[in-house]
Amino acid sequence: MTPEITFWVLAFIAVCGALVAVVRRNLIHGVFALMIFFAALAGLFLLLLAEFIAAVQILVYIGAVGILLLFAIMLTERVTGDDGRSIAARGWFWGLAAAVAVFVFLLLPAIQEADLPESAQSIQPSVKELGLKLMAPYVVTLEVLALLLTAALIGAVAVAQGAEVNKKEDSDDA
Amino acid sequence: MTLEHYLILGAVLFCVGLLGALTRRNAVVVLFSIEIMLNAANLNFIAFWRFGENPEALQGPLFTLFTIAVAAAEVAVGLALVIAVYRHFKTVDLEQLDTLKEE
Amino acid sequence: MSFELVVAILIATVPLLVIFPSLFALTTWLERKALARIQNRRGPNKVGIPCTRIGLFGLGQPAADGIKMLFKEDIVPNGADRLFHLLAPILALIPAMLVLCFLPLDFSFVAVWDESIAKDIKAVQGFALDGAVIFFFAITGINTLSVFMAGWASRNKYSLLGGMRAIAQMISYEIPLVLSAVVVVMMVGSLNAKEIADAQMGWNWYVFTPWGLAAFIIFFIAALAETNRSPFDLPEAESELIAGYFTEYSGFKFALFFLGEYISMFAISGLAAVLFLGGGEGPWVAVYPWLAVGWFLAKIFSLIFVMIWLRGTLPRLRVDQLMAFAWKFLLPISIINILISGIAWHLREQGAAVTAGVWGVSLGILYVTAVGLNKLNRANVKPREYKYAE
Repeated sequence: MTPEITFWVLAFIAVCGALVAVVRRNLIHGVFALMIFFAALAGLFLLLLAEFIAAVQILVYIGAVGILLLFAIMLTERVTGDDGRSIAARGWFWGLAAAVAVFVFLLLPAIQEADLPESAQSIQPSVKELGLKLMAPYVVTLEVLALLLTAALIGAVAVAQGAEVNKKEDSDDA
Repeated sequence: MTLEHYLILGAVLFCVGLLGALTRRNAVVVLFSIEIMLNAANLNFIAFWRFGENPEALQGPLFTLFTIAVAAAEVAVGLALVIAVYRHFKTVDLEQLDTLKEE
Repeated sequence: MSFELVVAILIATVPLLVIFPSLFALTTWLERKALARIQNRRGPNKVGIPCTRIGLFGLGQPAADGIKMLFKEDIVPNGADRLFHLLAPILALIPAMLVLCFLPLDFSFVAVWDESIAKDIKAVQGFALDGAVIFFFAITGINTLSVFMAGWASRNKYSLLGGMRAIAQMISYEIPLVLSAVVVVMMVGSLNAKEIADAQMGWNWYVFTPWGLAAFIIFFIAALAETNRSPFDLPEAESELIAGYFTEYSGFKFALFFLGEYISMFAISGLAAVLFLGGGEGPWVAVYPWLAVGWFLAKIFSLIFVMIWLRGTLPRLRVDQLMAFAWKFLLPISIINILISGIAWHLREQGAAVTAGVWGVSLGILYVTAVGLNKLNRANVKPREYKYAE
């Protein structure tokens, strides 16, 4: 009884959060709706017995990516959307049609025609197993991921710092 | 709840993200929508892990972990690019960033 | 939802909701008295039993403060975002109270009138969640969101600036916090708070090992910065930013922020006690198992007392000193600490001489690193040149 109610409540919150984030004119409201979406998704991961992934979802998405989005919004324009400009791009109707078409003609038939297993497995989820798997067969992936994150960190700082640093060096040489 | 419910939820969320990515003018909102799509894919992975055979191989959570890390890196670099674009063009409106277009 | 399950859930959660706010009231009184004595004055000593002149060392002061806050007028600025202005203090309180569930406090000694219920209660106690430590850090990260909401919704430049600075400080100090907890998690091999507390049976607490001591100091400093406590209280400093991100809050909303800050202080001290001080361990625990809660609370209180002591003693750090301290000093030292503890874990069962050698080498490496980083970060200021008018 209770897992069903929880699933429907969390699913409703997730879909509403995503819709508000995508549709809302005020960007700050959009980001907070997005964080509600992330939290609902973490709840769904907990329902599916993936505890570690739920914790990582909250830690990375709500704690870090959300804050990053807020800082980046502060540095750009039109945050509260108070001017009268339209929020939709010129071809918005075809975008909407494409999204609905993908759902109705591609994803729904794929789900309905697939041979899906019926009952849930009984899993004893354990973080220790995850750690052992990360070290034993998947250590190369882990190291490549670390390299990727370092490159992204350095790249993001270099790109966001801008061209003023280079200009100063040029004027010193000349 | 059966696997179908989770998959349909994932599909709906993916299409909401797709709607945002194709429809909005603001570059930051397009980045939000990409995050929504990635999260919907993660939900699919975990649902298939829970209901599929051989759950001890832990492939669902592992793939999701890597996807979360890569998505975080991508959103950082994407936002840095948006900030750099704003500094140059003084706008983040995708309709006005058309200098590569032929006249 | 059987009756036993409901009673078990109530016994697991109601003591937390009752004990920790009353401890909060006691801590505000303790803080005012202790700060006053450090500053060579007496602190509140008039508010005692109402309608009499008996001031019981000012113990009625928290109650008087609470009543005052409740009756203050609730002012919301004109152009402020009303929904966020209301949500921010609530969102500051929820993570703080939620993380209290992950600490291994065992209230199973609460007297129950029926033996059949007492059997089922053990099932819900002590919340042995398999990933408790990482959930703790994940939920503590939600505090940053409420700070931003408070700063943004007040429609005040100083609030926004204070909020941005507070978020930058909090996310910078989350990294040394988590990395120093990783040391203990590596030694135990589990993220379960109960297992970490049980692995420190007897007197082998992790704070008595060199890497544990370094990790404890780094964790404590980062915890001070996470809860915006002095000397890292730039976001709340009155002389800098009026009151930072809660300038525009009055009355009960301010009291909620205050409550959230103190309860997150309790929660982080609780985690420090579990990870490093062997939470619940102490003399006579094997004989009287219900003493474990008492020792746990005693350790939390001693850490809170050290926090109050530091507030009264040290001056405030400037914002660039604060960020440089996190990124250029604490982060390298915590990474080297993880390396050292990894080597020590591999050499752990090799006999007394090897253990003594490992301890000596690790102490040496940590000392040299600390001094070296200190020298590297020191600003290169030449001695002053005096120019006189001729």
